[in-house]
Amino acid sequence: MKKIIITFMCVLLLLPVAGVFANGAQEAKATGPVSFDFWTTETQSDRMATIQVLIDTFTALNPDVTINLVAVDENDMAANVQTAAAAGTLPGMFEAGAETAVAFGADNILDTDAATRIIKGIGEDKYYAGTLKLLETSNKGTYYALPYHGWIQGIWYRTDWFKEAGLKPPATWEDTLKAAKYFYKPDENQYGILVGTKAEGYTEQCFTPIAMSNEASLFDKDGKLIFNSPNMKEAVEYYADLAKYNPPGPQTWRARDYYLQGKLAMFYYSTYIMDDLALQDVAAGSLTGKNFENLKGSSFDPDLVKNTGFAPIMTKKQPAGFGVVVALGLFKQKDPAVTAAAEKFINYLYTQNAYITFLHMAPGGMNPVLKSIATNPLFQNDPKGIFKHYGPEKMAEIIQGLNSIETFSIVGGKRIEAASQISAKQIIPQMMYKITQEGMDVDKAMDWANSEMEKITNN
Amino acid sequence: METAKRLYPATLDRKAREEIFGWVLILPALVIILSLILYPIFYNIYLSFFNVNLDGVNTYIGLDNYKGVVFDSFFWNSVVTTFLYVVFTTIGTTFMGLIVALAMNKTFPLRWLVRSLILLPYVAPVISVVFAWQFIFDPVNGIFMDITFNKLHLFANRFNLIGSPKAAVWVAILFSIWKNFPFSYLMILSRLQAIDKNLFEAAEIDGAGTWQKFKAITFPELYFVMGAIVLLRIIWNFNKFEEVFLLTKNVKVLSVYTYFKAFTGTMELGQGAAIAVIQFSLLISFILIYVKKVLKW
Repeated sequence: MKKIIITFMCVLLLLPVAGVFANGAQEAKATGPVSFDFWTTETQSDRMATIQVLIDTFTALNPDVTINLVAVDENDMAANVQTAAAAGTLPGMFEAGAETAVAFGADNILDTDAATRIIKGIGEDKYYAGTLKLLETSNKGTYYALPYHGWIQGIWYRTDWFKEAGLKPPATWEDTLKAAKYFYKPDENQYGILVGTKAEGYTEQCFTPIAMSNEASLFDKDGKLIFNSPNMKEAVEYYADLAKYNPPGPQTWRARDYYLQGKLAMFYYSTYIMDDLALQDVAAGSLTGKNFENLKGSSFDPDLVKNTGFAPIMTKKQPAGFGVVVALGLFKQKDPAVTAAAEKFINYLYTQNAYITFLHMAPGGMNPVLKSIATNPLFQNDPKGIFKHYGPEKMAEIIQGLNSIETFSIVGGKRIEAASQISAKQIIPQMMYKITQEGMDVDKAMDWANSEMEKITNN
Repeated sequence: METAKRLYPATLDRKAREEIFGWVLILPALVIILSLILYPIFYNIYLSFFNVNLDGVNTYIGLDNYKGVVFDSFFWNSVVTTFLYVVFTTIGTTFMGLIVALAMNKTFPLRWLVRSLILLPYVAPVISVVFAWQFIFDPVNGIFMDITFNKLHLFANRFNLIGSPKAAVWVAILFSIWKNFPFSYLMILSRLQAIDKNLFEAAEIDGAGTWQKFKAITFPELYFVMGAIVLLRIIWNFNKFEEVFLLTKNVKVLSVYTYFKAFTGTMELGQGAAIAVIQFSLLISFILIYVKKVLKW
């Protein structure tokens, strides 16, 4: 018995040593098969399934490459990447918003040479120039990452309600606030507007066009932090005012379901909502009519798409819109074989069939950054029929909006990386949460945000 | 004996050989504890004295991280929240576990079924019950508001119980009690079943009532098992992260606060490490006092 126990112990102790040798053997073979992780912010299972199909197709053609798809929530992406960087376990490539990508670039963890090489290979003139500009480094002609698809955001609103009330569309500060107040009827479980108040990225997405329309920005042309300005304070106060007409409690984009249920007059959202509005089966997941039959607006409203208007531009001192270009990027790698394989995969993702398959995951939400794809009849004939529903003009308008996105991180044509870092660290959303949910005084909250921003700029 | 001779030098006596064998048995566990528990603890203590940069270059800053933490009012808010959370959840789970165990110790039809059903909250995956709770308390579509506001008119307006920074801690406490009381119940019930029935019969002959029997027999018999349950619950809930974080990000108990400090916003890993060290010291001191005074070890 003793003998058996001792033999067992020895085997147990030797196992980790054997593991080390096994790893060593694998590393030695790195020039052969190559494997890397692909982190994507497309966390929904159906989207992951589509990306997996693209990966499977690619790896069938390139049997030496293995790609592991990993879904990362957009709000966790920056933190996860930074901890992976510290641990030396960065994935081969990622898909995330351009601001996030620029923040990674500022941290010097991106392979900008590889990204630039792919863009030049495809041809810079093939892209919509505005989308490339968002990812350009301070050196003209080099890029942090590659624009892949994008969406624009604005206020979606009930045109039938507005018409009946004789209100103007929510395109200016005054008209939006007036309508939010008018439609706010909490006793009837109906709310005026949805703007983000949770400490998440969505809040900044809603706030940015409001600040920009008031000529408030984070930095001036010389890269000096000018967050604590009267214009910014006005915008913050206005936003907090709007948030009073939100559904109760801290809110994020998920509350868009209330609109589909007929309980909201207006909501900030991206063009991703287009299929939910138009298609009953897509919207079904958002509805609760089966469970709560007596709740107001509980069934799918087939007229909702007709009765919904879109106001992408907000105006106060100047007009301003908002959108996000989603980028593909490559992290710096010790093993050049990983970079080479990731480069090959990205090139594959830009080929016509793969690209269109990817974009058709969310027609309206995922719009191309290559001119040739935007006008491609295959792209315009999406399986869900969204293009037919909205018409080619509306879609062209959306893509045009994508080409003229403005952000806090480009001032007067100059790239300011710190603004992207501020965005990645969600300082503005945290400030909004403190003001709208914890009742913190605007001045105090702005001072707090300013000091957090200074920690980044002084670093 | 043949085996022993081959493995140990003949000069070792029986006692020494037993000792060596003892170490061999302990070794795997020791290696795991050293590498997975002690190393991270010591590395964390080390980091707490540094300004930690993600590019791997750390600068020694002495006690600055600790000063930063101690002079931060958000930290003290989080200490108070943790205190509230631990005290109420521990009292709640133990008390609820006791009551339910006493009830389940009586015989009634279908007792076996009820006993198993009670365990459901404890065995259900946290994430699924968290979603259920969020849906129940949704201010616009949730059943809670539908009943209390729409049907019973108990409140003047709809509100977001889980989202509200003030109310959320109480929801988190209620959730923890509901989710974890079955553990206390299970422990107490098994002890209850082991109490000698003769004691109760003797007490009855002496004319003791229900309360007297509980005070003189049941409670003293349960004292140590309850003491252990309370200790475990305090340790678990003092470090509790996932239940609180998934349910509502508004309740910044120490572990959640440390996460936000270290991994979000401006990512102050050094200060995060300092908070973890403070949290660890608080817990260890408490355990030492508790074990000596309450468990009388």
